Parts: sequence; structure tokens; C-alpha cells
Amino acid sequence: MTTIETNPTAVPPVQPVRKRRQTPRKTAATVVWIIGIVVLTAVVLYPLMWMISASFKPSSEFGSNQGFLPENPTVDNFVKVMEGVAGIPTWKFFWNSTILGVGAVIGTVISSSMAAYAFARLDFKGRPLFFTMMIGTLLLPFHVLIIPQYMIFRNLGMVDTFFPLLVGKFLATEAFFVFLMVQFIRNLPKELDEAARIDGCGHWRIFWSITVPLIKPALITSSIFAFIWSWNDFLGPLLYLNSPDNYPLPLALRVFNDQSSASDYGATVAISVLALLPVMLFFVIFQRFLVDGVATQGLKG
Amino acid sequence: MFKRISPRAGSGVAVTLAAALMLTACGGSGGGDAGGTPDPNEEVTLNFTWWGNEDRAERYEKAIALFEEENPNIDVNGTFMDFPAYWEKRQTEAAGGGLPDVMQFDYSYLRQYGQNGLLLDLTGFEGDGLTTDSIDETLLATGKLEDQTLAVPTGYNAWSLFENPAVLEQAGVEGYEGGTTWDDYDAYMASVTEASGGEVYGGTDYTMRIQNFELQLRQEGRDLFTEEGEINFTQEELAEFWSSAEDIRENAVIPARQLEEVAPKSGFGANLTATEMTWSNFMGGYLGDTGAEDLNIVAPPTSDPSVQDLYQKPSMLHAVSAGTEHPEAAVAFIEFLINSPEVGEIFGATLGVPASETALEGAALEGPELEVKEYLDSVADRIGEPPAAPVVGYGALENTFLTLGTSIGLGAITPEEAAQQFFDEAAVTLGS
Repeated sequence: MTTIETNPTAVPPVQPVRKRRQTPRKTAATVVWIIGIVVLTAVVLYPLMWMISASFKPSSEFGSNQGFLPENPTVDNFVKVMEGVAGIPTWKFFWNSTILGVGAVIGTVISSSMAAYAFARLDFKGRPLFFTMMIGTLLLPFHVLIIPQYMIFRNLGMVDTFFPLLVGKFLATEAFFVFLMVQFIRNLPKELDEAARIDGCGHWRIFWSITVPLIKPALITSSIFAFIWSWNDFLGPLLYLNSPDNYPLPLALRVFNDQSSASDYGATVAISVLALLPVMLFFVIFQRFLVDGVATQGLKG
Repeated sequence: MFKRISPRAGSGVAVTLAAALMLTACGGSGGGDAGGTPDPNEEVTLNFTWWGNEDRAERYEKAIALFEEENPNIDVNGTFMDFPAYWEKRQTEAAGGGLPDVMQFDYSYLRQYGQNGLLLDLTGFEGDGLTTDSIDETLLATGKLEDQTLAVPTGYNAWSLFENPAVLEQAGVEGYEGGTTWDDYDAYMASVTEASGGEVYGGTDYTMRIQNFELQLRQEGRDLFTEEGEINFTQEELAEFWSSAEDIRENAVIPARQLEEVAPKSGFGANLTATEMTWSNFMGGYLGDTGAEDLNIVAPPTSDPSVQDLYQKPSMLHAVSAGTEHPEAAVAFIEFLINSPEVGEIFGATLGVPASETALEGAALEGPELEVKEYLDSVADRIGEPPAAPVVGYGALENTFLTLGTSIGLGAITPEEAAQQFFDEAAVTLGS
């Protein structure tokens, strides 16, 4: 409740003024407001628009034409990109990225929510210690883990499969998501659990029928982040995947832009645009839930 | 109140611990005494990796298919990445013990991996599975470290000076003849810039590249680094080198700011400069970048034409990991990649002008590639002994040099400050 009170305070100073000369003041303010927003949006979106526009430039135009619009627009870049790399069709890279992305979402949602339930609702020995350790992994730089992790997966014979990239997701290793859900579950009234318990529910039933439906916003937030992170992840796939057949998009993208041999800038930009589309679609579709999720989290208090 | 349920979250820890316990000692030391040809009845899988674009990938796929046809028992898994990511991945594999059997290798990383015993000594295979007398001796020596043959060069290139006829025509001037004094070259660049009225430029500030400094040092009879891997020039000399280009920065070369604008292309690649000094294997890339039909290639300036200042640099090498389980098969694959005329035909000069005579015959170079080969032949008199394999961290120093050179061009620091910074960083990089 306390958080809501800050919101109305922003409005009152306007109200007394508005009563006297409502129309001119409002229009002027709106115009300034809109112009400001448009200018800001243009600045922020320019690089993105430039990239989309540049994907229609022929490769030779890069460097000579810095401008926004291509001089000789062409779709050759997209045609070339769709042909794929070294006999591997481009849809294969999209497919691999999709498997990894969806796998990451499923794994994260299932494992993190269960881990979070345990931390928030179960009273087991050493819980504070384990919780601290879990939070501690957030502070551990990824680069410290690379080599030991690589050795483990190599000795398990999992290199060049998707397992190293997905196993962790199914074991709740992303402390960020676990923490997010723990906080969420802690804010749910314990009485709900107790009522269910009196009706004869065990932990499984409480988790499934009470907790999961109530933490949906947190689950959606986690899904979106898990998907986008996985879709954009470069280092993980780089280290664990060897066969070009298994490459997800970020790796395939790099192959078009090798500086030591001839670089095809047009193709690089074109595949970047294509790689961006699914994430943008995903975001557009789920952003409503994302905002909901973040907003409701703030309200619990 | 609640019955205790064993924590789910603990399972992750348990699995990780179990996995850690399964760790065994990694990596193995390769024997250098071995030799011979692979057993034709043994089923072998080789992992092979390279960096490069999709064009190179297609060529390698062809070569691999051909090799597998000739050696039905050997299966080659090819994998590729772009250059920076390639080395990031190798670094992890080197530490984690999973280097691929055969690797396309870069000259500047040879010492680092060789010193740490990560590469198989191929000396025992020479003449017994691996033909090396098809390769020029000084060039072959670039793959050696302390008398061990650790890598075999695929092809070579040399420092050169490119000219863009289309830009020259636009400016209305003749091409640079090549091999004159540095002062003549400076004057020539200024004349191009003046003739075009500043629309295009005579060249790029050559003091930004460490290779041009190396060239000037070699013209005085020494290398950038001593055999022991120590810096072989003084801070004052470096500052003087950077200061020497003050005049051309003013009226002859493309401004540093404009270079930043056209990045990742170079000024030459963006058709803004008439000349540029770089490695001769840039021909293919520059033809693509400029969109030009034809580029000329001539000898870089020299203070003394009788000095052997240029050298054959291996454009890339092939190496075998010390931990490979199939050294014979790996060597057979390298032999095929280096010497077979069919591979020469597939690659042409895209990996540098083929080092091996037999591959060169198969390559039947023509057009721009032939031009590169002819250039290399034309400067044969100026080609001398290559310097010792680059010091560990050379790549980083090369980059620092370029960054500092750019800062000088932008007017952000003075040559003296830059030289100071270079030596500070070199001290850290070289660990002295």
C-alpha cells in the first residue's frame, strides 16, 4: 500500500492550474510532451532503424555510404543469408536457438519455482546457509566457472550436445530467478497454505494448487528473461558446441563477419535483423505480462 | 508443524559434486618420436577446426569430403568460428583438456601454445608421413620452436603496398612505383591528396601499424624483439617513429577521424585512399571491400633497397594437439591439406599463396591471386630470414600500437606520451 501513495503526489500541482485555463495550457503541454517523446524515441531507435535499413544495402556500399538509406536497395543479403553456411540451411540455426530457448524456459520455470518454494516455505536444516550460498553464486563471475564447468561436461562426454546448456537450467542454477520467486512466495499469505494443509494437502499439492497459480507473474517474468538470455547467449554455445549443425544463431552470425578473411557486412546485418525478429515478437507478445509481473511484484508489501 | 521434505534445491549441488568427483587428469603429453602412416583398418574420428567465413567453410567441407573418400576409415568432424571467438574457445579447451585433434593455427599464438606443451611435435613424422621438403626452408622454420616442428604453414604472404587504380584515376595521378625511399612515398601521397583536392587521399598514416615500424627496423638490420623475446628498440626511437609522420598527417593521409567513420572497413577498402600497406593476402578482402575489378600491388618503401627487410609470413599453419589419440591419422590429414594438389585447387591462394610446391601446382593461380604470387616473386631479393616466432602477447601489443597510433592521429596524445604508454603496457604484457 505504501508504494501507491507516491503516485498521486505527482498529479496534484497540475490540478488547480488546470481549472482556470484548461484548454490552451493542456494543448501546449501535450505538444511539447509529444515532440519530446518523438525526439527521444528517434534517438533511441535510430541504431535499430539504421540496421534494418542497412540490411538492404549491397555489401560494397558499407564504408562508402554512411547514410540512413541504401543507394541501391537490394534483397540479395537476405537471399544469401537464407542459403545458409557450408551446406547448413539457416532455418537450422533458428531451430537450434528455439530448442535452447524453449528448453531454458521450461527448465527455469519448473526448477526455480520448486527451489524457491523450498526456500520460502520449508523449514529444513541449514536453510539460511544454503540460501546464502545460493545468493552467493550471484556474485560469482561467470568467467571463474568456465573452465571447471567445461572439464566436468567434457568428462561426462556432453560436449557438442545441448545438455551443458540446458542441464543447469533444470537444476535451478540461476540464482536470480530462484531469488525472485522466493521473494514472491514469501509475500503470499501463509494462511492459504495452512488452510490447504488442514484440507489434507501435502507439499506437492500446496505447491501445485496454491503457490504456482499465485506466482504466475513471477513465472512469466522469469520465462521472458530466460528466453531472451538464452536466445542471445554467445559464450555458452561457443564453448560447448562444436558441430556447425548444432550452432544457434549468435554463433552463425559471427561466421558471416570474420575479419581475417573477407567480411560480408551486408549478410551480417541481414542475419542480425532476422535473428532479432523472434525476440522482438516474443517480447511484444509477452511484454504485457512482463509489465504486469514487475508491477504486481512492487505492490506486494 | 510441517513435515520435513528433503530439499529439492539440494539435488543440483549433489549432481555437481558427483560430477566433480568423476574428474580425471586431463591432457596428455604427445610423443615426438612417433612416425608413420595410419592403420587403414582402424576406425578413426578426427576433430578439425578453423576460423574463417562461410566461403572458407565451403572450401574446407570439399577438402574434407575428398580426404574421407581417400581414407574411408577416417571420419573428420569440421568446426569453425570467427577469429576472436576461435581463440576464446581454444583457450578454454586448452585449460580444460579438450583441444581438437587438428587445428588451423595462427603464427602469433604458436609460442604460447607451443611453450605450454599443447602441440604435438611433428619432427618424427617429417619424411615419414609428412612431406616437408616441398616447402621453402625459411618458411618451414616459422612453424618451429626450439628445434621442434609444431606446425606446418599452409601458405605465406609478405608485407606489401596496395594501389587502387580507380581512385588514382579519380585523382588523375600515376601509381606509386614502389620500393623508393620513405620520403618519396610521403611526397607521393601528398601529391595524390593535392591533385584530388582532398576528395581522396594518397594513403593511410603508416605509423599506426607496428609492421611498418618493424619494416623500418629491419631496414636497419634488427627485429622488433630479440631472440629472447625482449623489446629491441627504445622508447625514444618509438616516439621518433610516430613523430616522423607529423607532416603527412597534416597534408597527405586520410584523417584519423574519417577512418573511424568508415570502420570496420579501412580507408583503402572504402575507396578513400589510393594506397595502403598491409599483408599481401588482403587482396581478396580488399577486392570485396572496394568493389574494384583490379588492384595493383607493389613493393613498400625502403631506406636501402639492398637490405633484406621483408620476410615470408605464414598466413596460417596447421598443428596437431598434443593430446590427440590418433597422431598418425592427424598427420595424414595435415599432409593432405598442405601438399595435395587437389586441396591446392580448392583453396587457390585464399589461405595465402600455397607454401607447398605440389599444392601450388594444383592451385593454378590466376587473376588477382596470380598477381599476388608475382608480387612475392618480384620482391624475392628483399625477402630475408623471418624474425623469431612472435612473443606471447604479441597480438595484444599489435593492437595497443594501433590504438595509440589512432589516438595520435586524433590529436588526443603526443608521440612521446604514446611511446611511454606503449612501454608501460608492454612491460605488463611481456611480464618483465
